[in-house]
Amino acid sequence: MMRWIAEVEGAEHKRAAGEVPPLPSRPKDAAAMNTAVEIRRPEAMTAAEQVLRSTAVRQPADRDHEAAEDAAAHVQVLELNEALLRPQEPEPSEIAAEVIGLRLKFPGVPDLLFRDLSLSIRQGEKVLLLGPSGCGKSTLLQVLGGVIPRVTEVPLKAERLKVPESAGMVFQDPDTQFCMPYVDEELAFVLENLTVPREEMRPRIEAALREVGLNLPDIHVPIGSLSQGMKQRLALASALLLAPDTLLLDEPSALLDPEGRSAIWTAVRRVSERRTVIVVEHRIDEVLDWMDRVIVFRDDGSVLADGSAAEVFSRYRGKLREYGIWYPGAWDDALWGAAAAPVSAEEAPRQERRSEVLAAEGWHLPDRTAAPEIGALEPGAARGGDGLAQSAAAASAMCESELRAGRSDRPKAQSEAAPPAAGGAFDEPLLRLERFRVLRGGREVCAVEQAAVMPGDLIALTGPNGAGKSSLLLGLMGLLPRQGVCQFGAAFPASRREERQTAAKHAAFVFQNPEFQFVTNRVQDEVAFTLRGEAEEAALTAAQAGGASWKRRLTRRVATLSPADRRRRARLAAEMEQEAARRASACLESFGLGGYEDRHPYLLSLGQKRRLSVASAVVTHKPLLLLDEPTFGQDAQNAFAILRLCEELRAAGHAVLMITHEPEIAERLATQVWRIEEGRLTSAKPTGRSRMDGILLSKGGEAE
Amino acid sequence: MNGFFAPARQTALHRANPALKLPLFIVLFILTMLTHTIDGSFYLACVFVLLLFMASGYPLWKTALLISGFALAFASASLTMVLFGRGSEIWWSWGPIVISQESFYRGLHLGFRSIAFGCQGLLFVLTTSSTGLFYALMQRFKLNPKYAYSFMASIRLLPMTLEELRIRRDALAIRGTGGSTRSRALLRLPERYALPLLAQSIRRAQRTAAAMEVKRFDADRRRTYYYSSPITSADWLVLLLLALAVTAAICLAQELPVFRLGDMRTGL
Repeated sequence: MMRWIAEVEGAEHKRAAGEVPPLPSRPKDAAAMNTAVEIRRPEAMTAAEQVLRSTAVRQPADRDHEAAEDAAAHVQVLELNEALLRPQEPEPSEIAAEVIGLRLKFPGVPDLLFRDLSLSIRQGEKVLLLGPSGCGKSTLLQVLGGVIPRVTEVPLKAERLKVPESAGMVFQDPDTQFCMPYVDEELAFVLENLTVPREEMRPRIEAALREVGLNLPDIHVPIGSLSQGMKQRLALASALLLAPDTLLLDEPSALLDPEGRSAIWTAVRRVSERRTVIVVEHRIDEVLDWMDRVIVFRDDGSVLADGSAAEVFSRYRGKLREYGIWYPGAWDDALWGAAAAPVSAEEAPRQERRSEVLAAEGWHLPDRTAAPEIGALEPGAARGGDGLAQSAAAASAMCESELRAGRSDRPKAQSEAAPPAAGGAFDEPLLRLERFRVLRGGREVCAVEQAAVMPGDLIALTGPNGAGKSSLLLGLMGLLPRQGVCQFGAAFPASRREERQTAAKHAAFVFQNPEFQFVTNRVQDEVAFTLRGEAEEAALTAAQAGGASWKRRLTRRVATLSPADRRRRARLAAEMEQEAARRASACLESFGLGGYEDRHPYLLSLGQKRRLSVASAVVTHKPLLLLDEPTFGQDAQNAFAILRLCEELRAAGHAVLMITHEPEIAERLATQVWRIEEGRLTSAKPTGRSRMDGILLSKGGEAE
Repeated sequence: MNGFFAPARQTALHRANPALKLPLFIVLFILTMLTHTIDGSFYLACVFVLLLFMASGYPLWKTALLISGFALAFASASLTMVLFGRGSEIWWSWGPIVISQESFYRGLHLGFRSIAFGCQGLLFVLTTSSTGLFYALMQRFKLNPKYAYSFMASIRLLPMTLEELRIRRDALAIRGTGGSTRSRALLRLPERYALPLLAQSIRRAQRTAAAMEVKRFDADRRRTYYYSSPITSADWLVLLLLALAVTAAICLAQELPVFRLGDMRTGL
């Protein structure tokens, strides 16, 4: 197999000379090295060695002054030395990184990722790369950083490929960038690679930490004890120790909470003054105002736009929205676009279909076009035949406190129209907590004095990391030991086992990483799995209600199972199976996963995985949906898609309780905000949004 | 986890160079293996239990807790020999179980040796940090940095995988059995855990490797080291301590024998 490996690192000859980078290398050599593209590794090595040899000549020559025949060479070498030692002036026009005619192909993928892509970045330029997920931004960043093909060998061809002399890179995941257990050891690892003498290491480490704003009292602290945001700044510090002239950042803030996000960008900004910075990022609020240039890619990896930030934004706002980029105002567009933008022609049938499917499944969605703005709910606005919209209209006059007190004079008959899962009355709490404690290893990790979740609630669970938010959700599901009252609907479980079963019957849980929830090898089975479990449960309760003890059932089963009985059972099972398959397909269809039934869940895209995990959780109409940071690390498209799902469920009388760091969700979508601090629910405030409110998010942001 | 295994105080064993400590302990292992008298193994076990309490730098209760595990090792090593071993002087027999004098003492001998082994191993592990060991091995024994750093990186990844195992367990509990019987669900258990955990681990390892290479890690190049690996007085102290311990065990076995039995391999 033919493989092109581009040997492009100018660092090679610096290493051999035993010098500590960064030393301005001769531009000529660098050019020679960098143009040694499209030759295989051994050839590249020989080319590099030739360059090296010419550098190495100078040392014997320096010592051997009287050698007359060397005089000419000597002069030449002196010139070279001068060139070497001359300070490199940062000329604005000088090119820091350049690719011309880049073609790249991942093994096993039929298409080329880039088809003759050309791009050049000037020294000191701050460039932002944008594009839909999978368009190759990160790959391009790795090419520009010299990771591909030096580290990750990917077949690649380019007419010209110039990568920065020295580049520092920060990746997305804070947990996988370090190989040592302690902060100082990790930073020392970089210096060891650069063969910095031991005595110089400590001051350099301390300086780098100061530069990124990590003021640790002791530098020998476990990396595990740092917050995610601090870890990213540590990653930045270790990139800085390479003394790079170019910083490459691959979504460094995607997995951080808002505080961590602003801290890392402040740090990046501080250190990037005289450096070239190339950023790939989905969240561009913090980045945009100091970027010189924005490059937008299309799906196929070609360049759609290249220009100043303002220019790109004014012209390609729609595209950015489609690509799932968190541009400033993405929330406004997603929320108010719902009311403003008419349903497009191609969208309308799908919308209809989804409503039909959901209605057939027992979900009552209010008409989307009737979605009112916050606080502007008028009785006339909520039209439509379903009971929910009517009850919404009826309830709109009621104030929040009356709702909570349950003094609703709504006719009882209407409550029947509410989803069956909501368990009847709209003003009965789905979940009531009183003096509720969650324990972990015998220690109290989360305490709730009093709280209630009503149908139609969307509760944002906020608070700092490690405050006990996740523990609360796990406690609600009965996965952690607990004390106090945790009442789902009207159920009164007796034992711990029953508690867990009741919880499982009433609440669905969606984990942060969808992969951890998948249990089968087919998308459709994933949903059918839940349905089968439910059917089994129903059969069990029916049998228990029949008064048959476990033993008697068993003996009866063995004793009286005639062939006819067996056939009947098999037929029933087959029917049940068919029914499960039908419902699963319908559910997948409504979640935009139709056509993917036979895929392996792991082979879905990130957003699809997330939707499948929600689909498999809510297919049995559990009234309460618990989510652990559903929008975390997602692009805007996927995040809005998942939020819209939550909105639909909420508007249909379910309740959604989600952990989130996103202030926008708490401010704009939630009906209640629960704040958890230091293992205690410190406040549970209604936000002023009514539970009867319609769906706020538009469909424009939906991912497919 | 980390907190539990942080020593309360630093002893000479902690300060000693791991690259020297390792061969020393290997010699100890071999010595224990070559002990064939029950008095010798008994005193070796005693001496190293004592040493573990004194020199590991951990509070008494922690050491006791760790040592309690050796009761199991002792039981498992000795019981099979005691119950099923051969011998001429039968004390008691019932079906296939025959307890003879020889088998009984051989069983005890095995038990004592396993305790001695365990204590030596624990003493080394408790007083050596993995980072220190790998740095010493790289500098003293020219261990390829590639292996050293990948080991250290993988140690970092372990707790994350543990955490994910916990999450997966919770997720499976929530998803339930999906209508299949309990035994069938049990059969599929390994697969259910392995797939997501492996997928995640592979991704993580790959990312870590890329991050290391971006930091210009190159196994074939000369490098400097953050931690030096000198020979200090602590090393001599440890050498002395261990030699003393072994001599004490041998002398005690000679002077104050408890069992007064000969070589365990050739009858008593």
